[in-house]
Amino acid sequence: MATASSDPRVRRPGRPAPSMPRGMFPWLAQSWMLFAFFAAFFVFWELSISLFDVPAYILNRPSEIVVNGWADIDRLIRYFYITALETVLGYVVAVIVAVPVGLAIAFSSILRRTVYPFFVAVEMTPKIAFAPLFISWLGFGLLPKVIIVFLVCFFPIVLNAILAFGSLSEELTRFCRSTGAGWFRVFVKVRLPAALPQCFVGFKYAALNATVGATIAEFIGSDQGLGFYIQIMTGNMRPDLAFAGIFLLPLLGLLMFGCVTLAERLLIPWHISVRR
Amino acid sequence: MSTGATVEVRAVKKVFGTDDGALHAFGPAELRIGAGEFVSLLGPSGCGKSTLMLMIAGLLEPTEGEIFINDEKITSPRTDIGIMFQDNTLVPWRDIYGNISLQLELRGIDPKANADRIHELLRTVRLQGFETRLPHELSGGMQQRAAFCQALVHDPGTVLLDEPLGKLDAMTRESIRSDLQALWLQKNPTVIFVTHSIEEAVQLSSRICVVTPRPGCIGREIDIDLPWPRDAQVKRSDAFISYVRDIQEIFHGYGVL
Repeated sequence: MATASSDPRVRRPGRPAPSMPRGMFPWLAQSWMLFAFFAAFFVFWELSISLFDVPAYILNRPSEIVVNGWADIDRLIRYFYITALETVLGYVVAVIVAVPVGLAIAFSSILRRTVYPFFVAVEMTPKIAFAPLFISWLGFGLLPKVIIVFLVCFFPIVLNAILAFGSLSEELTRFCRSTGAGWFRVFVKVRLPAALPQCFVGFKYAALNATVGATIAEFIGSDQGLGFYIQIMTGNMRPDLAFAGIFLLPLLGLLMFGCVTLAERLLIPWHISVRR
Repeated sequence: MSTGATVEVRAVKKVFGTDDGALHAFGPAELRIGAGEFVSLLGPSGCGKSTLMLMIAGLLEPTEGEIFINDEKITSPRTDIGIMFQDNTLVPWRDIYGNISLQLELRGIDPKANADRIHELLRTVRLQGFETRLPHELSGGMQQRAAFCQALVHDPGTVLLDEPLGKLDAMTRESIRSDLQALWLQKNPTVIFVTHSIEEAVQLSSRICVVTPRPGCIGREIDIDLPWPRDAQVKRSDAFISYVRDIQEIFHGYGVL
């Protein structure tokens, strides 16, 4: 005989409700509104073009952008690769250089009084203002773009690294001193892991802004890359193809951001921003 | 089994230089602590108890006077001490076991050779089974218990506890006192314990040093002659209650209570 308590449909008091099944489905259930919003946005765009009779040299339907972009996909992929290469190179070099520089500034009172204010001043200058100069010095190739991306990424990473390495709690500092451990051992076992969360703030911010540097550097002087493509197609009155290029840029940014977020999950799974 | 160290504070005074003149934080004070004693520094907040603690640890230099541990003058941070603060020094990326082993690793001691010790300490503070938990998964009281183990795992002769129970709620404090007492009775190091709870000081200490309001001086020294271990029964005894009342009277005299 089935009693109320053995019936799985009856919730017994004091027990939590059965949790949602794990895996892909909860994610989908939580994201459907976002997808619906995107779909609605493109449908609205598609219909508005017909409704207001917008000429094709001003703006195209999303469907035309996809179809015409697909027809030119070989070139788009090649240019995507070029822009991605500039962005990733500039970003990686910025991470490799900026973290040790931030560490040095955090621990040297001389650097903190000289280089640090200088960096803050440079951070207030839009780095793309330097782009025409670098292109006039170094030509149309890869290097000036990598340098611009580097400059865009370098300062947020340095400023966050300074904050990260300079803010170990007083208690932990005293604890480490009381063990008599040398600087390097304290660095590896305590300072570095303690600094990683704040460093990742800089890494993420830089990853989101890296494509800006690459694109604008390409606007100013290049013969390939997505920035070059967008500028040429706009000049050719082909907004459909310009948009095809524009749609690929956030994809690059998202890929970068995704990689950094993945690294964050692997390196600091214990941190409050990562754990669930 | 560790042996407690002797601590001697001779005419120690600390003045902090600030922008608008000097701040006389502590002293001058004299204090002699025998091996294996549990001495509480009891006083109102801001009286310089923590300042004295940091000077004994060698983390802060006295303006005047000298401090000796085992008749050896302190000139740099001491490594033969265990230290613990109100905010514990558990790091969030290591589990409880790893946090205790951090104390050994920083000292270049092989933690594997001391695994039994770590497990024994965790058992004493009732944390067996929590070795692989991260600190944030534990309650505040459990974290402080783990922090006791971290401060004791290298067998220090002197243990400096700067209000380790300060941030805990009253009930948790009660239950953790007995863990702290068990650890002390087991290892018998010299303990210097900073607190502003009179009851806590009477329950835990072999001697209480009453610190006057700033600039802190050792106002009175009171030997607490009660049997060990001091459980709930001892705390209800007349002797216990009269110690507490006497000390309340002293602070009343200072205009603190």
